[in-house]
Amino acid sequence: MAFAWKASGLTYNKYLSVAARVVRRSLKDDKRLAAEKRGEMELRFAKWNNGKQGEMKSVADANAASIAESTLSS
Amino acid sequence: MNSIRIARTALRARPAAIKTPLMRRGYAEAVSDKIKLSLALPHQSVYKSQDVVQVNIPAESGEMGVLANHVPSIEQLKPGLVEIIEESGGSKQFFLSGGFATVQPNSHLSINAVEGFPLEDFSIEAVRSQIAEATKIVGGSGSEQDIAEAKIELEVLESLQAALK
Repeated sequence: MAFAWKASGLTYNKYLSVAARVVRRSLKDDKRLAAEKRGEMELRFAKWNNGKQGEMKSVADANAASIAESTLSS
Repeated sequence: MNSIRIARTALRARPAAIKTPLMRRGYAEAVSDKIKLSLALPHQSVYKSQDVVQVNIPAESGEMGVLANHVPSIEQLKPGLVEIIEESGGSKQFFLSGGFATVQPNSHLSINAVEGFPLEDFSIEAVRSQIAEATKIVGGSGSEQDIAEAKIELEVLESLQAALK
């Protein structure tokens, strides 16, 4: 099966998260505010090198950057 | 001498064998004509192994209705409307954002999705304004990823708009 999202280099996980985000945004205001909190991710990570902590990065931003790279190369 | 004794016991044994009941009651009549539905979201389980009559799901391979004793299968779901016909005869409709439905061999149906809400929770105005926005992005000159995401959004929103009408 040829899916449009697959052809443009997105993963199934990314496809699902985009679909879920747009469903949350379509809710009535009271439900939307409660639901949109579920879409947020605040995980952070840092690389340690020679006993020193590197720069702290957000996992969400790093994911977005790697997806952007893969869509460019495809 | 020995062989005669064996023949005698065999003769004696036969009536007992005939007496054992031939008509055994099977389990076939006791099988329920209901399907056990579990509808699970990451943050909530909407149905927990509850008996229902029929479930209509929007599979990637087409719309399908699942009754009891359905062939076991795994179906990827499109963003769309799931209709559940309950034992009481009433039906409930949920809009799911996409996921998987697994029909298990023992009349169990598990549906997993990321987001799912009853239709009355959606606002048609929010859907319309988002369709306008996404259409603009698809036709615009954004990055390939932005356009791909807007196309996914459009697919979901159009399905949602059709369901709300």
